[in-house]
Amino acid sequence: MPLLKAEGITAGYGDTDILHDVHLEVNDGEIVSLIGPNGAGKSTLMKAVFGLIHPRQGSIRFRDKEIAGRSPYDIVKEGMCYVPQVANVFVQLTAEENLEMGGYLLDERLLPERKERVYELFPKLRERRHQRVGKMSGGERQMVAIGSALMLEPELLLLDEPSAGLSPKLVDEIFDNIHHINETGLAVLMVEQNARKSLAMATRGYVLASGQNRVDGTGQALLDDPEVGRLYLGG
Amino acid sequence: MDISQEPDRAPVKRDKRLGERVRDVVQTRAFLLVSIAVVFVALLVLARFQGVSGERLLSLAAWGIMLGGIIGLGSIGLTLVYGVLKFPNFSHGALVTLGAYFTFAFLAWLPQSEPLRPLSFGWEFPVALVLSMPLVGLVAVAVDRAVYRRLRRQNAHLVLFAMASLAMAFFLRSIIYIAWGPDFHFYFPGRANPALELPLNIRVRADQLFILVLALMLMLGVYVLLERTRIGKAMRATADNPELAQVRGINTERVIAWTWLLGGALAAAGGTMYGLSSQLRPEMGFWLLLPMFAAAIMGGIGNPYGALAGALIIGITHQVSTAFLDPTYGPAVAFVLMVIVLLVRPQGLFGRGGG
Repeated sequence: MPLLKAEGITAGYGDTDILHDVHLEVNDGEIVSLIGPNGAGKSTLMKAVFGLIHPRQGSIRFRDKEIAGRSPYDIVKEGMCYVPQVANVFVQLTAEENLEMGGYLLDERLLPERKERVYELFPKLRERRHQRVGKMSGGERQMVAIGSALMLEPELLLLDEPSAGLSPKLVDEIFDNIHHINETGLAVLMVEQNARKSLAMATRGYVLASGQNRVDGTGQALLDDPEVGRLYLGG
Repeated sequence: MDISQEPDRAPVKRDKRLGERVRDVVQTRAFLLVSIAVVFVALLVLARFQGVSGERLLSLAAWGIMLGGIIGLGSIGLTLVYGVLKFPNFSHGALVTLGAYFTFAFLAWLPQSEPLRPLSFGWEFPVALVLSMPLVGLVAVAVDRAVYRRLRRQNAHLVLFAMASLAMAFFLRSIIYIAWGPDFHFYFPGRANPALELPLNIRVRADQLFILVLALMLMLGVYVLLERTRIGKAMRATADNPELAQVRGINTERVIAWTWLLGGALAAAGGTMYGLSSQLRPEMGFWLLLPMFAAAIMGGIGNPYGALAGALIIGITHQVSTAFLDPTYGPAVAFVLMVIVLLVRPQGLFGRGGG
């Protein structure tokens, strides 16, 4: 049984459909990379999975439970956390308060231990935990965002362009972190502009274009596919 | 206050670099503070020219702090609701009035006890206040459920929210007229509350000190709630980024309900204190609406601590101006300060952006 299975998703904003009959699957422990040109509907698919927009058609099952049409604060209880592409931290709150909001659904007694785990993963955040996130750099914000999403110890982590706007050195750092998080047993579904890097790390990948599935396959197979290379990986 | 106007769009031709540079200086927090200080000092100088004694000015300033406390309690609710829901709630003044009248109703119902000298009231007054606060909070939640939540579900434009809140202001005021009539009321008619002589010849009544202490305690409570409790942090998180709050597992509808409850309860406390310091009128909250908005805007709308600072500045300036101005011009003082803030630094003293 796949961890996440989306089938026949048609979704969009208002009367405009962006996704047309899209399918997607994530199994336990996998890293799945979603690539495609700008405007392909990658972020829209993530939002539909997480209930920020409700699909007009199709089913989204998490651990064989239908979640399409439910609210984000409800879906998060099922064991799936999401890091949006932009505005993914509370800038008015401190780093530590951001983590506490990530663990909003937890018993308060569990918070110190979970925060400690995030600080072990991102030691920089420990130093700056009482700093307002609005005053932090892009890389640090991304750590706060990912750290907050880990507070509930989800089974599946959704990352929308985790490396957007970061320097090449920081991009590598974030990718290392994602790899490390995945090794602890978490499945990851990510949208990435750095398509080659993310496919190299991914178990499987999906190419999306104009709101439709184009090619699926293992990360390596997609990297080796000359047509994918020419059309979507920039030659 | 015209909320739809965007002065930046005016097609003015000017030397951009010089203009930008001047604007950068003018828009700093320091410049705003200096502007407010200039208005304040001008008031003091005018008062001295009119032969107002220093002791009288000090007493007025002390009353101003008390008035600032009352305005502050109202403007905290206003700014919290704005922070979470992003619309100016014009019916907040009606909640203030409702709080004052609910306390009045509870006083009539509770047994009267001996006044706690030198205060003008007995134990029944704080009890009535404690009963009135959550009740107004619940009214605010009920109004939200009946009106604003429907609008939220329809993704209505913010102007519609503001108009709906204006309608609610008139609706609630009409209910007050029907229930209690248009006449003045006093909590304790005819009871003496002589002024106390404090050091530096400051003359204030014991009731005013009570108001000040209570306002400070409530504000401390708000601080603890927002900074230390889970629901308070969730309120700040929801005000910051409602969509992300949902993604993090926060039920934002519940947070909104708590925000109304808190805002309504504080408004009730402010209204009751205002009623104690003067008298009850159906329009009392409506007249407080302008200073409350001015305070919220001055502090940077959405920022509860800023609202409090703004309320103190407005309260003190307002009272000191009565040394030589007719008190009916009081709201004009608040209005002048608000216009200065809007011109100099629209994001307020503690708003985001700028220096």
